Amino acid sequence: MIKLNNIFKQYISNNEKIIALDHISFTIAKGDLVVLKGASGSGKSTVLSLIASLTKPTSGDIEVKNTKISKLSDNFASTFRQQNIGFIFQKYNLIPNISVKDNIILPLIPTNPDELFVNSRANSVMKLFNIEHKQNIIVRNLSGGEQQRVAIARSMINDPDIILADEPTANLDEALSLDFIKTLKELKDLGKTIVVATHDPLFFELDFVTKTINMKNGHIVE
Amino acid sequence: MFLNPQILSITILDIIFLIFGTVVFFLSLQIYFKWDFNSSSPLQYKLEKQSFLNAVIIKYIFYLKLPLFLFFIFTLDSLSDVITGAMCAAGVIDATSYGMPLFILKIANIYLFGFWLLIHHIDMRYPNLEFTKLKFGYFLVIFVLFVLEIYMELALFNSIDISKMVSCCGTLYSASATSAISSIFNIDSHIFVYIFYGSYFINLLFYKIKNAYGFTLGNIVFLIISIVSLIRFFSPYIYELPTHHCPFCILQGDYYYIGYILYITLFAGTFYGMVTLISKSLDKQNTNYFKISIIFSSLYVLIVTTYPIIYYIKNGVWLN
Repeated sequence: MIKLNNIFKQYISNNEKIIALDHISFTIAKGDLVVLKGASGSGKSTVLSLIASLTKPTSGDIEVKNTKISKLSDNFASTFRQQNIGFIFQKYNLIPNISVKDNIILPLIPTNPDELFVNSRANSVMKLFNIEHKQNIIVRNLSGGEQQRVAIARSMINDPDIILADEPTANLDEALSLDFIKTLKELKDLGKTIVVATHDPLFFELDFVTKTINMKNGHIVE
Repeated sequence: MFLNPQILSITILDIIFLIFGTVVFFLSLQIYFKWDFNSSSPLQYKLEKQSFLNAVIIKYIFYLKLPLFLFFIFTLDSLSDVITGAMCAAGVIDATSYGMPLFILKIANIYLFGFWLLIHHIDMRYPNLEFTKLKFGYFLVIFVLFVLEIYMELALFNSIDISKMVSCCGTLYSASATSAISSIFNIDSHIFVYIFYGSYFINLLFYKIKNAYGFTLGNIVFLIISIVSLIRFFSPYIYELPTHHCPFCILQGDYYYIGYILYITLFAGTFYGMVTLISKSLDKQNTNYFKISIIFSSLYVLIVTTYPIIYYIKNGVWLN
């Protein structure tokens, strides 16, 4: 499903070369829930960005659903991402002054679908994440946990096969984090492939996690 | 060097184009010789990023060159006020030996850059960028012509001598001219009319059967025939003067700038006609280039045809 082959990623900041990933390789099978574990700066978010084709590696190949996404140009990568990948961000990246429903349907707008389809998909994901009753509320008036659920619903609107979550519980208290983990389990049960980048210890002992990849300074460590 | 605000603007833009063009040239060299899409090496990823930057620069050079060509004509036309004997851009073009070759090269370069844009457009439609090497290889060739154009343009402005008397368009486009163009005035004008409409109808036929080879060739012929027939047959009807055959005076306000409409429709029609072959050879998708070409060409034919008919209705005689 997801294959990273000898990925090297280097950033240049203030004329200084920073190695974010140093020739790492791993594979993730369909339906797996993989946790990328590591401290800040270990390269977890870079891995997610590469899988989502938000950035390109300096060298190496990334294959997602048998497509070499690291070789796709921006327009093809956008289409691929739109069709196959849902992204949950640490700070949710919601638009605060529009409603829950309008935030959720945002990823559908570029495809210009008909209204019936949009409403049906929006109702379905809002029901799944129990936010149907909040659909007309302006997002800035929601609690952190509710905003997180809106972000998850938005990532699911295109019914992607792959869900990437970058520090999804960083802004949540323990109870809400456990709620989120429950939601992840539900998504896994739906057959979604999930990659979570986190340093939250709550994720490390979960029985439904397929694999934990420990990262340190751009390397995979045992 | 003769300088006025227009020449200064063109010169500055030429220098900017030359700087950017040279950067793109060296990057294109690297892409052309080192491109290997299947490789995942740092160099290949770097080249892929560079190819997008390169393409953007070439695109903007082309987008600026188009209106700049019209501005160039406008500048030549305005220079006729200061050059003794010149009545329009034709006299200025004839003022130096660079004039006519530069003018033809400018038109050719617009077509060649347009073809590059089409190849780029097709390349962007395929995820494996299969025409990237071709398009940058092609750019290496047109860059030489591009530099030559800039050199000739600067040489033209540098060699204009405003104290020297030049011929006016009435002399240049007549049987008494010393240039090759004078030979067309020794041939019966009706022959050009038959060839002009004949080549248009042959293009219509190729359009009907969607034959890209024939249509491309037909459009090259149609472009040349259209310009020659415009000079020889149609222009006197636009000027309502039997002896006036200038292809530049029609760009002036006295004739409602009809020349701009005529040349834009003619160049657009023949450009889209010529790209049908490139499109057929490289692209697997159906395109509307045949239709766009025939619409512009028909528009051109319609406009030039209107002038003799209106003249005949008003005066009851033909001019040639």
